[in-house]
Amino acid sequence: MDSLLSPQLLAAAMITGVLYALISLGLNLVYGTMRLLNVAHGDLVMIGAYVAFIAFSLLNIGPLVSMFGAALICGFLGWLSYKCVFQRLLSNGQLLSRLEENSLLLFFALSVIIQNLAILFFSADRRGYEYLSAIVEIGDVRLTGARLTVLIVGAVISAAVVFFLRFSLFGLAMNALIQNRDASAIVGINVDRVQMSSLIFGFGITGLAGALISMMEPISPVMGFPYTMSAFVIIILGGLGNLWGGFLAGLLLGVLEVYGVALTGPEWRSVLVYGIFVLILIFRPQGLLGSGKTAR
Amino acid sequence: MKNSLKLVLAVVLCVFLAGVAGFADEYILGIGFTIFMYIALAQSWVVLSGLTGYISLGHVVFFGSGAYVFILIWGLVPVWLGVFCSGIVVGLVSLIVGYPVLRVRGPYFVILSFGLAELVKNLVLINEARMYVSMRPVFGAPALYQLYTAMLLLAIIATGLTYWIRRSRFGAGLRSIREDEEAAETIGVPVAKLKLLAFAISGVIPAMVGAIFIMRSGIFQSGDAFTPIVSFTMVTMAIIGGSDDAPGPFLGVVFLVLLQELLWVNWPEVYMIILGILLLGFVLFIPNGIYGWLSEKYFGNKKNVT
Repeated sequence: MDSLLSPQLLAAAMITGVLYALISLGLNLVYGTMRLLNVAHGDLVMIGAYVAFIAFSLLNIGPLVSMFGAALICGFLGWLSYKCVFQRLLSNGQLLSRLEENSLLLFFALSVIIQNLAILFFSADRRGYEYLSAIVEIGDVRLTGARLTVLIVGAVISAAVVFFLRFSLFGLAMNALIQNRDASAIVGINVDRVQMSSLIFGFGITGLAGALISMMEPISPVMGFPYTMSAFVIIILGGLGNLWGGFLAGLLLGVLEVYGVALTGPEWRSVLVYGIFVLILIFRPQGLLGSGKTAR
Repeated sequence: MKNSLKLVLAVVLCVFLAGVAGFADEYILGIGFTIFMYIALAQSWVVLSGLTGYISLGHVVFFGSGAYVFILIWGLVPVWLGVFCSGIVVGLVSLIVGYPVLRVRGPYFVILSFGLAELVKNLVLINEARMYVSMRPVFGAPALYQLYTAMLLLAIIATGLTYWIRRSRFGAGLRSIREDEEAAETIGVPVAKLKLLAFAISGVIPAMVGAIFIMRSGIFQSGDAFTPIVSFTMVTMAIIGGSDDAPGPFLGVVFLVLLQELLWVNWPEVYMIILGILLLGFVLFIPNGIYGWLSEKYFGNKKNVT
């Protein structure tokens, strides 16, 4: 039991938690503003990770710089998919009547396309690179430099994003859309533009998180899927569309996962995540912070 | 066409397909097997998801569980009894599991179905790892023509079932759930009972299909038996064909299996990409599927969106 109280484990939980919080933020934005269920979310993590990998191994650019490139590229994909797919979905009455289900099928199709394109281009092999791999000691905690960097950069960026969404005009418009779409249109918010921006923004920060992840873990075209699942667990835990709730739930899931695995064993990781997921959906689909009413 | 004529044609077709088993070569039988397999799967999917609107993205859970039950009792009971048992066991279990699961509605159900399939898959994986089994070979399975005939039978049963349910009082109840569950409940449709029944029916045939499938592949591996690809192929087939009635999935399956036959072996990635593009295109532009589109265009009857 001693090992459970060690600061080492706490640090690991914090790193996972911060990354989860960041990743789920993007998913939550897209769901909150447009009610789109993005099951291709983890694939954006994968794209971000590959951007960082290529930048590092071919161009010799560190992930701390290329993560902004990853954000730009994923943001561009957000724009593209909005223009090509979701604008049509959101403006067609017949499709809109079953919006969530249809968006799920569409994103699923996108996920299949992205993953297989990645396999065609990069092969299915797992890859990785060495960056800041020296061990850093802080008190009793021993971390690689990369993991420490991920923790700090991830926390700073998450905080920046949360503040941006809370205080900037753009963030307020998004929040308004999350609360009430029709009312936002009435008070003069350009709904179409805010929707497009939140898709770009949500995709962008996810790509950035992917670049951070590539610093610590091997990457592969199918790496995204577990992140999709975790992100869904988180935004349901926090309440769909509830940005703060999702942020806290991200930290919580990180802690649950790291400590759960420490107690049982690595092979139980997936069972743990999916188990929490299934139980939450059955017993509290409105999320931990939600009121008695479901978001539907 | 008159209904009786349709029926005669269908019977002739089935007899012909069964007769083919006698002399066709392995390759033809293999394609036939795959087509019938997906017809049985897609039709079963339509019973739950097409009719009630509870879209299941984890239908492979029935397929995999059936295969797992079957491999566990393999050698203990006669082969075909084993297939039957796996269907019954999975059907009974899904009656129990379905009760809490079907209380979850809309998009929550869609992701839940998916998460549930992954949960079961990982539990089976852990269980197998504990017993130090990475894969289980199936020795002495029946010959391909027997499996082909069995699969044909399942495809016929599944198609008949969907056709019949769609036109029955039961099916009308299921579709009322899709249109407006609260309204249906208010006017006295026993929605909870109907959903649960549809869930179990929709699980029995995939379970038996899973059992027969591992006799064909000759091996049980939990990762393969529960692969999400099967769920997704099922959904895509039903949606491309049109998932409101029996002829829809039929069209979708034949189209995709032929595509699979052309591309799967050499270019599996290209196959999956085409699958993705097709799904995208159909959801956006032809949400009623090939069948819905055809019948609207040529027969003037308007189908409902699923």
